[in-house]
Amino acid sequence: MAAPGTASLLRASAASSCRWLLAAFRGAAGRPGGGGGGVVSGSVAVRTPGRFFGVSARARLSSEDKVTVHFINRDGDKLTAEGKVGDSLLDVVVDKNLDIDGFGACEGTLACSTCHLIFEDHIFEKLDAITDEEMDMLDLAYGLTETSRLGCQICLKKFMNNMTVRVPEAVADARQSIDMSKNS
Amino acid sequence: MPQTLKLASRASLLSRGFPEIWAELGFKAPARVTKTHKTLEDMPGPSALGFFTDLFCKRGLARLHELQIEGKAKYGPVWKASFGPILTVHVAEPSLIQEVMRQEGKHPIRSDLSSWKDYRVCRGHAYGLLTAEGEEWQKIRSTLGKHMLKPKEVESHTGTLNGVVSDLIRRLQHQQSRHGQHVVQDVAGEFYKFGLEGISSVLFESRIGCLEPEVPKETETFIRSINRMFVMTLLTMAMPKFLHHIFPKPWKVFCESWDYMFAFAKGHIDKRMTEVAEKVSRGETVEGKYLTYYLAQEKLSMKSIYGNVTELLLAGVDTISSTLSWSLYELSRHPRVQAALHEQITGVMDGGAIPSAADVAQMPLLKAVVKEALRLYPVIPSNARVISDRDIQVGEYLIPRKTLITLCHYATSRDARFFPEPDCFKPERWLQKDATHHPFASVPFGFGKRSCIGRRIAELEVHLALARILMHFEVKPEPEGGPVRPMTRTLLVPEKDINLQFVSR
Repeated sequence: MAAPGTASLLRASAASSCRWLLAAFRGAAGRPGGGGGGVVSGSVAVRTPGRFFGVSARARLSSEDKVTVHFINRDGDKLTAEGKVGDSLLDVVVDKNLDIDGFGACEGTLACSTCHLIFEDHIFEKLDAITDEEMDMLDLAYGLTETSRLGCQICLKKFMNNMTVRVPEAVADARQSIDMSKNS
Repeated sequence: MPQTLKLASRASLLSRGFPEIWAELGFKAPARVTKTHKTLEDMPGPSALGFFTDLFCKRGLARLHELQIEGKAKYGPVWKASFGPILTVHVAEPSLIQEVMRQEGKHPIRSDLSSWKDYRVCRGHAYGLLTAEGEEWQKIRSTLGKHMLKPKEVESHTGTLNGVVSDLIRRLQHQQSRHGQHVVQDVAGEFYKFGLEGISSVLFESRIGCLEPEVPKETETFIRSINRMFVMTLLTMAMPKFLHHIFPKPWKVFCESWDYMFAFAKGHIDKRMTEVAEKVSRGETVEGKYLTYYLAQEKLSMKSIYGNVTELLLAGVDTISSTLSWSLYELSRHPRVQAALHEQITGVMDGGAIPSAADVAQMPLLKAVVKEALRLYPVIPSNARVISDRDIQVGEYLIPRKTLITLCHYATSRDARFFPEPDCFKPERWLQKDATHHPFASVPFGFGKRSCIGRRIAELEVHLALARILMHFEVKPEPEGGPVRPMTRTLLVPEKDINLQFVSR
């Protein structure tokens, strides 16, 4: 097969690259105050907008900064929790101690896809564009759908109030179902 | 909406074959559970003697990656073989690799038997991230993961890394100017130095001079120690214990190499810590963003910091070097791809001289080139997992707990069913994934909580370096140079020197 021409390669790469448009802005909406601390203060972190919300400012956040999210767990049970605007969905699960088996194994470092969540169409359409990094991880997710995203990358916004997200059925069931007693 | 388009193309994957695999995994009916599984006894594989002969008499250790492909052709996607004293199950099918990875548990184990661990026990050193297990591993992983993997944190290293890239360009200019035809000999050697300087700058936030015209002697020795350690890693593991008494040299060389690496890391850590302590005692604020400091903040013992930094240093050298070397090697042999990439880079840069993280994020062809280089030449040609607490089902087999499972990534990433024309360098396959794509067929950084912790920094480092190299040079094969093949040295490395012509633009 002939090597692809310059033009066709560029066309192909342009077609796949729409999602980086927002990549430059990614992270600006990250967790406020999530930087280092102590005597070391990275100059970059200091400029992060969220850093200007000191502890006192965060304490003043009123109920209108809260967003309610309903999770449909793997077994079909509904879990409802409240999070703050700017928190990621993984933060909500961890902070509220929601019992979702195996969720967020890599602690939001974009190294696995266990915080995979399935969104309602009308919410999914309004989510920030996906980055290459998230796309690569999502590709490896179990039970992928057309409205799948990683919970660690989706930060709460007002419009998400009362949304319902679904946790895909667990692959974990397969391991636990093997009868281990017969081998031990 | 672009996002919807991307997801739509991805969703097409769902309609072709995955559901069966996933459904099988996810909805295991009780009836199936009681079904008899095949066991290790039923598994095909070479005789212990046959494999031993392959390894030691037919250059098998250097050809381990090829043995994956031969094994799969001979025995199918799952087979067993005795790697010296260790019985290991080879898995060479993406869907089965997926099954193993999804069952790796809370504290995944790569291998519970290893010469790396033996050395640390022998010398009384602490385990680092590569060798620690269980809660000890989790603590280090959580600390480092926060600083090394989160996109915003990774981006903050851009300035530091770009400083190192500037030195690399200067060094390449120096090297090519010394040669009549502008050939840089052994580019992997140059990129070793770049890798070491890069990871040092991230770990210590100070420079160690690897890219100066006169390379410090200790740098050369450190890099040689890594190489020798990797050569001896497989050998010492494959050798049965009794052979160690008859041939003590491999173990001795292995230990001496590690000794040097630990001493090198300790020297740099102590130096940096002293500087910080002096600043603090003078009442100055310490500003900075380097990983060694974060480790110290977490109240890890100094012993543990030495262990971790040593492992992080060595992990940032071969990996960066091989990826850059093979990427440029393939680009030099595919001038049209190189031209397209150059056009994309200059288009994004629009007159700018130094690409930022945001700039390289806008270069999809650059990322595709690196993905394709890692598919053809995965730095880790095979990885491993041990599930210690339960038997797991993989395909039709029930694999007993504590079995070493070898994941044959090289075989899957060169499999024509997932990558048509598998031996051809075709970066465009990553831009428009078609129905042949399987997400687990090429996972060069691994997957999950034990995947490569340096992944994001490495990607950024390689993207920044590659973009800038191509802005300064057109890279061509060495005149009359032949093809270079990969060989296994624990990691996959070029079999001989890759020499490339760097023509200034």
